[in-house]
Amino acid sequence: MTLFVQALINGLLMGGVYAVYSSGFSLIFGVMNIVNIFHGELIMIGAFNAYWVFTLYGIDPFLSLPLSMISVGAMGYVIQRILINRVVESPPMISYICTFGVHLILANLALLLWSADFRTVTTEYSGTGFSLGPITVPIARFVTFVIAILTTFGMYLFLEKTRYGKAIRAASQDKEMARLVGIDVKAVYALTFAVGAAITGMAGGLLSTYFVIYPQMGLPYTIIAFCVVVLGGMGYIPGALVGGILLGVIQSLTATYLNSGLSVAVTFILLFIILILKPRGIMGKGIVE
Amino acid sequence: MKPKAYVWPAIAFLLALFPLLQLEGYYYRVLSMIFLWVGLASAWNLTSGFTGYIDFGAVGYFGIGNYATALLMARGGVDFFPAVFTGGILSGAIALFIGRYTMKLRGAYFGIATLAFAEAAKQIVLESDRTFKMTLFEGSHGITLPIAHGEPFFYYTFLATAFLIVLTVYIINGHKFGYALKAIKEAEDSAELAGIDTQRCKVLVYALTSAMIGVLGGINAYWLTYISPNDVFSVIHTIQMIVMALLGGTGTVFGPVLGATMLSIANEVIGARFLYTYLLILGFIILFIVIFLPRGITGLISLKRVRK
Repeated sequence: MTLFVQALINGLLMGGVYAVYSSGFSLIFGVMNIVNIFHGELIMIGAFNAYWVFTLYGIDPFLSLPLSMISVGAMGYVIQRILINRVVESPPMISYICTFGVHLILANLALLLWSADFRTVTTEYSGTGFSLGPITVPIARFVTFVIAILTTFGMYLFLEKTRYGKAIRAASQDKEMARLVGIDVKAVYALTFAVGAAITGMAGGLLSTYFVIYPQMGLPYTIIAFCVVVLGGMGYIPGALVGGILLGVIQSLTATYLNSGLSVAVTFILLFIILILKPRGIMGKGIVE
Repeated sequence: MKPKAYVWPAIAFLLALFPLLQLEGYYYRVLSMIFLWVGLASAWNLTSGFTGYIDFGAVGYFGIGNYATALLMARGGVDFFPAVFTGGILSGAIALFIGRYTMKLRGAYFGIATLAFAEAAKQIVLESDRTFKMTLFEGSHGITLPIAHGEPFFYYTFLATAFLIVLTVYIINGHKFGYALKAIKEAEDSAELAGIDTQRCKVLVYALTSAMIGVLGGINAYWLTYISPNDVFSVIHTIQMIVMALLGGTGTVFGPVLGATMLSIANEVIGARFLYTYLLILGFIILFIVIFLPRGITGLISLKRVRK
């Protein structure tokens, strides 16, 4: 029983992080209908950002989060401006393949720059946790979880309450009408990508406190983000939270009772089943092409 | 691009005479590799290029073909040709089952479902021995096959297979079935209204493509004599098929042949020594194609003809 509860807690904490970086993916898809295959590379760059700031200057990864956000967000803005805006209105095949090309470039450029070594950020609190009875809660994961939930909520508020958020939602609902009422749709796209990328970069910084980081870590994260978003409903931000936590718990239980390598296979089989049975996500609020 | 129909069999015939030159083994190997990729890119193009359903999981069938052949030969003592044939049938049968569900999905959903399928297949081969305490796939240790024939054997096997695949694509391209597939790409709902059983066409072509890829996988296993999941299920294979078809021109018969030949040579020159530089360059080639050449090289040529 203790094992089960522990696995549940681990999955829940993990799910919070899944939720953050998947909400960026969901936002980009929901607004531009682009499946961003280099999403995992944004996480990787955010994580390396935290790693280098920690290794070179000794600044705690949680304190360098704003830096990860700003740098990855700026990168996302530039890529959207100079590249993706050119293909955003082409057939979807072209846009997937375009983001695929960026994925190859970023992953392999990072590999040339930083080599394939596995790296870790080891802080004083790494590996420590507080206990609740027989259950141990790792501190880094717990703090990450709290930040993750706050960020997802903050993004939801940004989209619902601010003028920029309204412009983003308008452009996603009907881009022709948005143009007619004076919204610069391409600028909104760039803003959307920047916001999505910033949150993803931050998630990368959070991850760096307890996961190994290496240049080719990206693709599995992209696939997980896709699973989470499909579970929760594509383009529906609160769905990312539900999907993330669900997936985190399922993976943690598989890893505990079967084998951690197989948890990836279970994820994909689950994704497959959800795609076929409930393409709008378990809450039925996603976008279907 | 519509070359005279006899040009291509003529090239294949000349290539069949090539071993008479008695060159070093290296050239056989490079040419065999080119034929392998011509076959893979053409097979991928048959589903994805013709119908517009971008399959990101094609390597799954390549891996299944590899493993089916390897297991049959190493464990079952089956001969090469029946083993490869069985591998192809198995890939096709699995695709028939998977396609029944995934082919109902559209666009990105289809792409990611196929990617998930390929990754799941890889994980199952990689982990099931350890999880279920059995010895079948040997996990990451991989499987060693009986020692192979000499290079000319594989040269001819790959050449014949690639030729048959391109021929199949050529025939389908001019056949009613090919028009149905292209109609699905242009406007699926209208195609359905025009009386095409689109679901049936999509699943059939997907199974056919997968069977072809499975056969190529089987030959690959015997050729390499050693396979491991991380190798034969590597997503890089799918990337290469996509880029080759795109570079040459998707939805055409000879575009993928051209793209596969060009990129295989590039891979041999750059990739053999600097794999990651090659992948980086591949990334830039993709962006270049997407922005300047969305219809591939063959698209460029046919555009010029129209302008004349």
